[in-house]
Amino acid sequence: MRIELSPDDIETIIHEADAAARRLRRKLNLPHCDREDLGQDLLVDLLRRLPAHDPARGTIGAFANIILRNQSSRIANRHHRQLRAQGGTVISLDAPISGGTERLGCVLAEADGLAAWQGQDRSAVDDAETHHDLARALGGLPDDMRGLCAALGTCAGPEIVSRTGISRSALYRHIARLRLDLAMRGFGAGWDGSKAA
Amino acid sequence: MEMFVMHPNAFTPAKPRPLTDIEFCAWIGQAMPGDRLEYHRGFLGIDATAVISTLPEPERRRLGALASAAHRAFEAALVHLVQVRVGPDRFAYLAIARTKPRHAPIPLSQLIATEEAA
Repeated sequence: MRIELSPDDIETIIHEADAAARRLRRKLNLPHCDREDLGQDLLVDLLRRLPAHDPARGTIGAFANIILRNQSSRIANRHHRQLRAQGGTVISLDAPISGGTERLGCVLAEADGLAAWQGQDRSAVDDAETHHDLARALGGLPDDMRGLCAALGTCAGPEIVSRTGISRSALYRHIARLRLDLAMRGFGAGWDGSKAA
Repeated sequence: MEMFVMHPNAFTPAKPRPLTDIEFCAWIGQAMPGDRLEYHRGFLGIDATAVISTLPEPERRRLGALASAAHRAFEAALVHLVQVRVGPDRFAYLAIARTKPRHAPIPLSQLIATEEAA
């Protein structure tokens, strides 16, 4: 069924969904970043049910409010069910795992961590190796390039230009050379023999 | 029965893509001692020099940057540079990876601290 919505109706729906998402997030004590997800869940459910709205029985705002309240309640129930399944509470990484003294954070693999979920899949071992490799590469750089590296480690290009008086083009020429120097020590660019052939 | 006649150049391997300076440096970064790479074939001194080079300008610039990177790598004792004569006024220019020189490692944090103190 096709439904006609005026710009005012759309604004009302979005506003109500947003307010409901904020209320729900507060009620469930969820982090702020979850508000948008909740808002989307609520809005999608509301849009799916909009064809059932009968203008003769009430305004679209009142209709939206009832739908959002019901869906919020369903989401809250689902959330509580999940919490109960985890032992009735939010699990802390610092809490000892059941039947042991070791903390939960100690037994989780790095690939299970939040950083890995966000795409940062580097382990502490990889990081340590990169630090060591970088230190070795820096040790082998010519003195002028090492100085440039240190300068770039603390400030941006324009700041180096204003601080040292070097011209902008000369600075970028040096940076291009530094890039080559680091590449020949194994940093930055990768060599693919089959691609080059 | 149909008969196919193959062109004499049908199986000539495709000409390798010209190497850039950053690719050359990346090869050095990954090469094991003894690995070799032909980075140019021709007469480098002429090919890379403006006016006398017969290469198009962008090609000549690429070659100049490549030759300069090769020289820089040689000065850093990362490669041997050799050339093999393949014909009159024509050479194959080879880079042979050397054992990476050992230098005392300098952590970036220490480098920055030293720079700021200076």
